[in-house]
Amino acid sequence: MMRKVAVVPCSGIGKSLGAAAREAAYVLAEDLRPDRTKIVALGLLVLGDEETRRAVAGGAGIAIDGCKLECAAKGLESAGAGKVKKIAVFDVIRRHRGLKPEGVTDLNEDGLRLARAAAEEGAQIVDELAGEEEDA
Amino acid sequence: MPDLPKKKVGLIACSGEELAEGTVTRRAVRKVLETLRPEDTVTLCLPLFLAGGEGERAFARHHPTIAIDGCAKRCAALATEKYSAKPAAAIVVSQIRKEMDFEDIGTARRLNEAGKRLADCVAELIAAETVRLLKRPRGKSHGPAVKSSGCGCGSDLPSGTVSILGQPTRIAGLPLILAQCRDQARSPDEKTAAALLEAVKIYNEVPETRERAWREALLREYVHLLKEAH
Repeated sequence: MMRKVAVVPCSGIGKSLGAAAREAAYVLAEDLRPDRTKIVALGLLVLGDEETRRAVAGGAGIAIDGCKLECAAKGLESAGAGKVKKIAVFDVIRRHRGLKPEGVTDLNEDGLRLARAAAEEGAQIVDELAGEEEDA
Repeated sequence: MPDLPKKKVGLIACSGEELAEGTVTRRAVRKVLETLRPEDTVTLCLPLFLAGGEGERAFARHHPTIAIDGCAKRCAALATEKYSAKPAAAIVVSQIRKEMDFEDIGTARRLNEAGKRLADCVAELIAAETVRLLKRPRGKSHGPAVKSSGCGCGSDLPSGTVSILGQPTRIAGLPLILAQCRDQARSPDEKTAAALLEAVKIYNEVPETRERAWREALLREYVHLLKEAH
Protein backbone atom coordinates (compact mmCIF):
# COMPACT_ATOMS: atom_id res chain seq x y z
CA MET A 1 0.00 0.00 0.00
CA MET A 2 1.23 3.46 -0.91
CA ARG A 3 2.64 5.50 1.93
CA LYS A 4 0.54 8.60 2.47
CA VAL A 5 1.84 11.76 0.87
CA ALA A 6 2.55 14.53 3.38
CA VAL A 7 0.76 17.76 2.49
CA VAL A 8 2.41 20.78 4.08
CA PRO A 9 0.72 24.14 3.61
CA CYS A 10 2.03 27.63 4.32
CA SER A 11 1.40 28.68 7.92
CA GLY A 12 1.30 32.39 7.28
CA ILE A 13 -1.62 34.37 8.66
CA GLY A 14 -0.83 37.78 7.23
CA LYS A 15 -2.03 37.39 3.66
CA SER A 16 -4.83 35.82 1.64
CA LEU A 17 -2.53 33.62 -0.44
CA GLY A 18 -1.31 31.90 2.72
CA ALA A 19 -4.91 31.24 3.72
CA ALA A 20 -5.63 29.91 0.23
CA ALA A 21 -2.63 27.57 0.50
CA ARG A 22 -3.97 26.22 3.78
CA GLU A 23 -7.49 25.79 2.41
CA ALA A 24 -6.04 23.99 -0.62
CA ALA A 25 -4.37 21.51 1.73
CA TYR A 26 -7.70 20.78 3.42
CA VAL A 27 -9.49 20.36 0.09
CA LEU A 28 -6.79 17.99 -1.11
CA ALA A 29 -6.46 15.92 2.06
CA GLU A 30 -10.12 15.84 3.08
CA ASP A 31 -12.10 16.02 -0.17
CA LEU A 32 -10.00 14.98 -3.16
CA ARG A 33 -7.47 12.38 -1.94
CA PRO A 34 -8.28 11.56 1.69
CA ASP A 35 -6.91 8.02 1.48
CA ARG A 36 -3.57 8.97 0.00
CA THR A 37 -2.62 12.17 1.79
CA LYS A 38 -2.23 13.57 5.27
CA ILE A 39 -1.71 17.13 6.47
CA VAL A 40 1.49 17.83 8.36
CA ALA A 41 1.87 21.04 10.38
CA LEU A 42 4.78 23.14 9.18
CA GLY A 43 5.58 24.50 12.64
CA LEU A 44 6.12 21.00 14.03
CA LEU A 45 8.16 19.99 11.03
CA VAL A 46 10.58 22.85 11.05
CA LEU A 47 10.95 22.92 14.80
CA GLY A 48 12.14 19.33 14.53
CA ASP A 49 9.38 17.38 16.25
CA GLU A 50 10.71 13.80 16.09
CA GLU A 51 7.40 12.07 15.41
CA THR A 52 6.55 14.49 12.61
CA ARG A 53 9.96 14.26 10.97
CA ARG A 54 9.81 10.45 11.06
CA ALA A 55 6.45 10.56 9.31
CA VAL A 56 7.93 12.66 6.52
CA ALA A 57 11.52 11.41 6.13
CA GLY A 58 12.11 9.42 2.96
CA GLY A 59 8.53 9.78 1.72
CA ALA A 60 6.89 12.07 -0.77
CA GLY A 61 5.57 15.46 0.20
CA ILE A 62 3.60 18.25 -1.43
CA ALA A 63 4.42 21.78 -0.29
CA ILE A 64 1.71 24.36 -0.88
CA ASP A 65 3.29 27.76 -0.46
CA GLY A 66 1.69 31.18 -0.30
CA CYS A 67 4.75 33.29 -1.12
CA LYS A 68 8.09 33.09 -2.85
CA LEU A 69 9.94 32.36 0.36
CA GLU A 70 8.61 28.79 0.06
CA CYS A 71 8.76 27.97 3.76
CA ALA A 72 6.70 24.78 3.32
CA ALA A 73 9.00 23.40 0.61
CA LYS A 74 12.04 24.27 2.70
CA GLY A 75 10.45 22.59 5.71
CA LEU A 76 9.87 19.36 3.79
CA GLU A 77 13.37 19.38 2.37
CA SER A 78 14.97 19.97 5.74
CA ALA A 79 12.97 17.10 7.23
CA GLY A 80 14.45 14.71 4.67
CA ALA A 81 11.41 14.09 2.47
CA GLY A 82 12.40 11.81 -0.43
CA LYS A 83 10.44 13.73 -3.04
CA VAL A 84 9.26 17.29 -2.65
CA LYS A 85 6.63 18.49 -5.09
CA LYS A 86 5.83 22.17 -5.01
CA ILE A 87 2.60 24.06 -5.57
CA ALA A 88 2.98 27.82 -5.47
CA VAL A 89 -0.36 29.53 -4.98
CA PHE A 90 1.09 32.73 -6.45
CA ASP A 91 1.71 30.76 -9.68
CA VAL A 92 -1.67 29.03 -9.59
CA ILE A 93 -3.38 32.42 -9.53
CA ARG A 94 -1.56 33.36 -12.76
CA ARG A 95 -3.14 30.37 -14.44
CA HIS A 96 -6.57 31.46 -13.22
CA ARG A 97 -6.65 35.12 -14.11
CA GLY A 98 -9.44 37.22 -12.75
CA LEU A 99 -9.46 35.68 -9.28
CA LYS A 100 -9.16 38.23 -6.49
CA PRO A 101 -8.71 36.35 -3.24
CA GLU A 102 -9.39 38.35 -0.09
CA GLY A 103 -9.64 37.62 3.61
CA VAL A 104 -7.50 35.53 5.91
CA THR A 105 -9.81 34.27 8.65
CA ASP A 106 -12.55 33.71 6.09
CA LEU A 107 -11.54 33.57 2.45
CA ASN A 108 -13.90 35.10 -0.09
CA GLU A 109 -15.35 33.08 -2.97
CA ASP A 110 -12.38 33.79 -5.23
CA GLY A 111 -10.03 32.66 -2.48
CA LEU A 112 -11.92 29.38 -2.17
CA ARG A 113 -11.84 28.94 -5.96
CA LEU A 114 -8.11 29.52 -5.96
CA ALA A 115 -7.70 26.96 -3.16
CA ARG A 116 -9.73 24.43 -5.15
CA ALA A 117 -7.57 25.00 -8.22
CA ALA A 118 -4.38 24.51 -6.21
CA ALA A 119 -5.83 21.38 -4.59
CA GLU A 120 -6.68 19.91 -8.01
CA GLU A 121 -3.08 20.39 -9.07
CA GLY A 122 -2.14 18.59 -5.86
CA ALA A 123 -4.47 15.70 -6.66
CA GLN A 124 -2.81 15.31 -10.03
CA ILE A 125 0.58 15.14 -8.35
CA VAL A 126 -0.69 12.49 -5.93
CA ASP A 127 -1.93 10.40 -8.86
CA GLU A 128 1.39 10.74 -10.65
CA LEU A 129 3.25 9.67 -7.53
CA ALA A 130 0.98 6.63 -7.22
CA GLY A 131 1.65 5.79 -10.87
CA GLU A 132 5.41 6.03 -10.34
CA GLU A 133 5.14 3.73 -7.35
CA GLU A 134 3.19 1.14 -9.31
CA ASP A 135 5.72 1.27 -12.14
CA ALA A 136 8.65 0.79 -9.76
CA MET B 1 2.22 61.92 5.64
CA PRO B 2 1.31 58.50 6.99
CA ASP B 3 2.03 57.96 10.66
CA LEU B 4 5.19 56.09 11.45
CA PRO B 5 4.18 52.87 13.20
CA LYS B 6 4.95 52.94 16.91
CA LYS B 7 6.27 50.20 19.12
CA LYS B 8 4.01 47.18 18.97
CA VAL B 9 3.57 43.71 20.37
CA GLY B 10 4.40 40.83 18.01
CA LEU B 11 1.88 38.00 17.94
CA ILE B 12 3.16 34.57 16.94
CA ALA B 13 0.48 31.95 16.30
CA CYS B 14 1.50 28.30 16.01
CA SER B 15 -1.03 27.96 13.20
CA GLY B 16 -1.00 24.14 13.64
CA GLU B 17 -2.84 23.02 10.53
CA GLU B 18 -3.77 19.56 11.74
CA LEU B 19 -5.51 20.63 14.96
CA ALA B 20 -8.68 22.62 15.58
CA GLU B 21 -6.78 24.48 18.32
CA GLY B 22 -4.30 25.63 15.66
CA THR B 23 -7.17 27.21 13.77
CA VAL B 24 -8.28 28.87 17.00
CA THR B 25 -4.84 30.50 17.32
CA ARG B 26 -5.09 31.94 13.80
CA ARG B 27 -8.63 33.19 14.21
CA ALA B 28 -7.88 34.75 17.60
CA VAL B 29 -4.75 36.53 16.36
CA ARG B 30 -6.56 37.91 13.32
CA LYS B 31 -9.31 39.27 15.57
CA VAL B 32 -6.77 41.10 17.71
CA LEU B 33 -4.99 42.46 14.62
CA GLU B 34 -8.14 43.58 12.87
CA THR B 35 -10.48 44.60 15.66
CA LEU B 36 -9.29 44.55 19.25
CA ARG B 37 -5.79 46.10 19.16
CA PRO B 38 -5.05 46.99 15.52
CA GLU B 39 -2.70 49.82 16.39
CA ASP B 40 -0.75 47.91 19.00
CA THR B 41 -0.05 44.56 17.36
CA VAL B 42 1.55 42.90 14.36
CA THR B 43 1.75 39.25 13.45
CA LEU B 44 5.07 37.51 13.06
CA CYS B 45 5.02 34.70 10.54
CA LEU B 46 6.04 31.53 12.37
CA PRO B 47 7.30 29.54 9.36
CA LEU B 48 9.33 32.46 8.10
CA PHE B 49 10.62 32.98 11.59
CA LEU B 50 11.79 29.38 11.59
CA ALA B 51 13.09 29.52 8.03
CA GLY B 52 15.42 32.37 8.85
CA GLY B 53 13.40 35.53 8.24
CA GLU B 54 15.76 38.16 9.65
CA GLY B 55 13.02 40.81 9.78
CA GLU B 56 10.90 38.58 12.02
CA ARG B 57 13.82 37.62 14.24
CA ALA B 58 15.04 41.17 14.64
CA PHE B 59 11.56 42.40 15.47
CA ALA B 60 11.13 39.73 18.13
CA ARG B 61 14.50 40.59 19.67
CA HIS B 62 13.55 44.21 20.21
CA HIS B 63 9.82 43.98 20.90
CA PRO B 64 7.63 42.16 23.37
CA THR B 65 6.02 39.09 21.83
CA ILE B 66 3.11 36.87 22.71
CA ALA B 67 3.26 33.22 21.61
CA ILE B 68 -0.14 31.65 20.98
CA ASP B 69 0.09 27.88 20.77
CA GLY B 70 -2.56 25.31 20.00
CA CYS B 71 -1.13 22.44 22.00
CA ALA B 72 1.37 21.56 24.68
CA LYS B 73 4.16 21.11 22.11
CA ARG B 74 4.34 24.92 22.12
CA CYS B 75 6.04 25.36 18.74
CA ALA B 76 5.48 29.12 18.66
CA ALA B 77 6.90 29.76 22.13
CA LEU B 78 9.87 27.45 21.61
CA ALA B 79 10.69 28.86 18.18
CA THR B 80 10.57 32.42 19.46
CA GLU B 81 12.86 31.59 22.34
CA LYS B 82 15.21 29.57 20.15
CA TYR B 83 15.61 32.13 17.40
CA SER B 84 15.10 35.47 19.13
CA ALA B 85 14.14 35.99 22.73
CA LYS B 86 11.81 34.48 25.29
CA PRO B 87 8.21 35.57 24.61
CA ALA B 88 6.90 38.13 27.07
CA ALA B 89 3.71 36.09 27.38
CA ALA B 90 2.51 32.68 26.25
CA ILE B 91 -0.97 31.28 25.74
CA VAL B 92 -1.78 27.60 25.12
CA VAL B 93 -5.25 27.11 23.62
CA SER B 94 -5.66 23.45 24.61
CA GLN B 95 -5.19 24.49 28.23
CA ILE B 96 -7.73 27.30 27.98
CA ARG B 97 -10.14 24.98 26.21
CA LYS B 98 -9.91 22.57 29.13
CA GLU B 99 -10.20 25.26 31.78
CA MET B 100 -13.23 26.81 30.10
CA ASP B 101 -14.82 23.44 29.47
CA PHE B 102 -15.19 23.67 25.70
CA GLU B 103 -15.83 20.19 24.35
CA ASP B 104 -16.50 19.96 20.61
CA ILE B 105 -14.96 22.97 18.85
CA GLY B 106 -15.18 21.69 15.28
CA THR B 107 -12.33 20.72 13.00
CA ALA B 108 -9.07 22.29 11.89
CA ARG B 109 -10.76 23.19 8.63
CA ARG B 110 -13.98 24.57 10.05
CA LEU B 111 -14.51 25.65 13.63
CA ASN B 112 -18.07 25.31 14.90
CA GLU B 113 -19.81 28.04 16.91
CA ALA B 114 -18.17 26.85 20.15
CA GLY B 115 -14.77 26.94 18.44
CA LYS B 116 -15.39 30.50 17.29
CA ARG B 117 -16.42 31.49 20.81
CA LEU B 118 -13.23 29.93 22.14
CA ALA B 119 -11.25 31.95 19.57
CA ASP B 120 -13.02 35.10 20.80
CA CYS B 121 -12.03 34.28 24.39
CA VAL B 122 -8.42 33.70 23.35
CA ALA B 123 -8.47 36.98 21.42
CA GLU B 124 -9.61 38.82 24.56
CA LEU B 125 -6.76 37.24 26.51
CA ILE B 126 -4.23 38.29 23.86
CA ALA B 127 -5.62 41.83 23.87
CA ALA B 128 -5.38 41.98 27.68
CA GLU B 129 -1.76 40.80 27.57
CA THR B 130 -1.02 43.40 24.90
CA VAL B 131 -2.41 46.14 27.12
CA ARG B 132 -0.35 44.89 30.03
CA LEU B 133 2.86 44.69 28.01
CA LEU B 134 2.49 48.13 26.47
CA LYS B 135 1.14 49.61 29.70
CA ARG B 136 -1.76 51.07 27.75
CA PRO B 137 -5.14 51.97 29.20
CA ARG B 138 -7.72 49.24 28.92
CA GLY B 139 -10.52 49.36 26.37
CA LYS B 140 -10.40 49.07 22.62
CA SER B 141 -7.57 50.82 20.89
CA HIS B 142 -8.48 54.03 19.14
CA GLY B 143 -8.48 54.38 15.42
CA PRO B 144 -10.16 52.42 12.69
CA ALA B 145 -9.76 48.71 12.22
CA VAL B 146 -6.99 48.06 9.76
CA LYS B 147 -7.13 46.05 6.58
CA SER B 148 -3.39 45.74 6.12
CA SER B 149 -1.66 42.43 6.64
CA GLY B 150 -0.18 43.64 9.91
CA CYS B 151 3.04 41.75 9.24
CA GLY B 152 5.82 42.58 11.68
CA CYS B 153 8.63 41.88 9.27
CA GLY B 154 8.67 45.42 8.00
CA SER B 155 7.64 44.24 4.55
CA ASP B 156 4.66 46.60 4.62
CA LEU B 157 6.89 49.60 5.24
CA PRO B 158 8.58 51.57 2.50
CA SER B 159 12.31 51.09 2.69
CA GLY B 160 15.42 52.93 1.60
CA THR B 161 18.93 51.82 0.74
CA VAL B 162 21.89 53.53 2.34
CA SER B 163 25.61 52.92 2.08
CA ILE B 164 26.95 51.82 5.45
CA LEU B 165 30.65 50.97 5.70
CA GLY B 166 30.69 50.74 1.92
CA GLN B 167 27.82 48.25 1.77
CA PRO B 168 24.41 49.08 0.33
CA THR B 169 22.04 48.42 3.22
CA ARG B 170 18.24 48.22 2.96
CA ILE B 171 16.50 49.94 5.87
CA ALA B 172 12.81 49.24 6.46
CA GLY B 173 10.80 52.35 7.31
CA LEU B 174 13.61 54.78 6.43
CA PRO B 175 11.61 57.24 4.27
CA LEU B 176 8.93 57.60 6.95
CA ILE B 177 11.44 57.95 9.76
CA LEU B 178 13.38 60.66 7.95
CA ALA B 179 10.20 62.47 6.94
CA GLN B 180 8.94 62.43 10.50
CA CYS B 181 12.15 64.08 11.74
CA ARG B 182 11.93 66.70 9.00
CA ASP B 183 8.30 67.48 9.85
CA GLN B 184 9.32 67.93 13.48
CA ALA B 185 11.92 70.46 12.23
CA ARG B 186 14.72 68.62 13.98
CA SER B 187 18.24 69.95 13.55
CA PRO B 188 20.73 67.64 11.83
CA ASP B 189 22.78 67.01 14.95
CA GLU B 190 23.99 64.15 17.14
CA LYS B 191 20.77 64.10 19.14
CA THR B 192 18.74 63.63 15.97
CA ALA B 193 21.16 60.97 14.76
CA ALA B 194 20.57 59.04 17.99
CA ALA B 195 16.80 59.41 17.64
CA LEU B 196 16.96 58.22 14.02
CA LEU B 197 18.92 55.17 15.06
CA GLU B 198 16.46 54.30 17.82
CA ALA B 199 13.54 54.51 15.38
CA VAL B 200 15.36 52.49 12.76
CA LYS B 201 16.19 49.78 15.30
CA ILE B 202 12.51 49.05 15.80
CA TYR B 203 12.24 47.57 12.31
CA ASN B 204 15.81 46.58 11.52
CA GLU B 205 18.55 44.61 13.13
CA VAL B 206 21.49 46.89 13.80
CA PRO B 207 24.67 45.13 14.94
CA GLU B 208 25.87 46.72 18.17
CA THR B 209 29.40 47.07 16.87
CA ARG B 210 28.18 49.07 13.87
CA GLU B 211 25.81 51.45 15.60
CA ARG B 212 28.15 54.38 15.12
CA ALA B 213 28.40 53.76 11.38
CA TRP B 214 24.60 53.45 11.15
CA ARG B 215 24.13 56.68 13.11
CA GLU B 216 26.50 58.54 10.80
CA ALA B 217 24.83 57.13 7.68
CA LEU B 218 21.37 58.05 8.95
CA LEU B 219 22.46 61.58 9.75
CA ARG B 220 24.01 61.88 6.30
CA GLU B 221 20.71 60.79 4.72
CA TYR B 222 18.81 63.27 6.85
CA VAL B 223 21.10 66.14 5.82
CA HIS B 224 20.61 65.08 2.21
CA LEU B 225 16.82 65.13 2.64
CA LEU B 226 16.92 68.63 4.15
CA LYS B 227 19.09 69.90 1.28
CA GLU B 228 16.69 68.42 -1.28
CA ALA B 229 13.83 70.30 0.37
CA HIS B 230 15.53 73.67 -0.19
